Amino acid sequence: MALAPHNTSQLEALHRDPALHESTYVHAVYDSIADHFSQTRYKPWPIIAAFLASLAPGSIGLDSGCGNGKYLPLDQGGKIMLVGLDRSLGLLAHAQWAGGKERHVVRGDVMNVCWRPGAFDFAISIATIHHLCTLERRRQAVQALLQAVSSSDGRVLIYVWATEQDELSKRIVPVDPEKAGEKVQDVFVPWKKAAVQRANGAGTETETETELHQRYYHLFTKDELGDLVREAAKCLGLHILQGEDSSESNGLRIVQEGWERSNWYIELLLTTAGA
Amino acid sequence: MVKLITHNLLCCHARGCNYPDNFPLTFKDVTQLEVREADYNAEFLQKMMPRLEWKALVDTAKELGDTSLPAEMPEGDAVDEEFLRRLHHVLLEVHVEEGAMYCPKCEHKYPILQGIPNMLLAEHEISR
Repeated sequence: MALAPHNTSQLEALHRDPALHESTYVHAVYDSIADHFSQTRYKPWPIIAAFLASLAPGSIGLDSGCGNGKYLPLDQGGKIMLVGLDRSLGLLAHAQWAGGKERHVVRGDVMNVCWRPGAFDFAISIATIHHLCTLERRRQAVQALLQAVSSSDGRVLIYVWATEQDELSKRIVPVDPEKAGEKVQDVFVPWKKAAVQRANGAGTETETETELHQRYYHLFTKDELGDLVREAAKCLGLHILQGEDSSESNGLRIVQEGWERSNWYIELLLTTAGA
Repeated sequence: MVKLITHNLLCCHARGCNYPDNFPLTFKDVTQLEVREADYNAEFLQKMMPRLEWKALVDTAKELGDTSLPAEMPEGDAVDEEFLRRLHHVLLEVHVEEGAMYCPKCEHKYPILQGIPNMLLAEHEISR
């Protein structure tokens, strides 16, 4: 499946009013495909499952952009707790009862901090930040994650879709005609919903109609997620700590980063000076 | 299903509001309050206690009619099973289904509908 790049007028519209672009091509789409979307279940990526399993009992975390809440049940048998944040009420209705139990969910924007500063022990943001359509908005979303977790030992894990897709994803990212050899990054990803079933004539046969929805994605290139994190850290006055560096300033350590199953990921640890 | 554990994390994020003046949000117009059993996990409760803003929790529980928690957060041996069961009930089993939360400073209203608190603000209302 080849992903459709934005044409010139769509790119213009995106930059003229990014919030409207997201409202049309992200929020409205998820609200209308929410029920169908939630029937498609996937196993959690191994690195996300391992991250959640490594948390200390009693940890409270934020799942920023929780969608249908597929990660909310991974609460390690009740030893940790996850609070799901999303903008789509349609998806939150599913997240509220994800895995057959009552979960903690809040309606809000991933770029805002509607929490006490540092209220959480950890935060995850899985397949969410790529739905924000300008660099500034993506940076704000990362800043909101860094502000939501404890500045002394908060942990953050971020996943976004990559321009580098493997054969399992079945998605083909076209080359940008404007930039030789580089792939397009602002794309529409179709969602086919075979939902409308109508009785045909005598009512014995059914006809299936396909509804097509286009979701906006910003695909990340190699190093783009790391650069975004560095910029967000800089805006918050956080130093990037390397090696044995335990300097006087408050900092952020990149614990691991890489590519897994068509996604770029990065794991972060906040530390306080002198700790 | 705004439980008090979630409420204890939330803050007003309107322009001009800063911690701690914007915390805790005040419940008002609560038309539906439900108590539903939740799985009890002593280890989780014990270890997450330091994360809580204790006074905000006690005061908010009182406003909702529950006076079972002590004014000071217990320590050491006082953190026994009886106390943890009470804490579990207040944090995880009391649900505000319909109502609203108001900022104690700017009085911005965050409605709760079908158990989901709406923390969205219009672009011009947000503090950055």
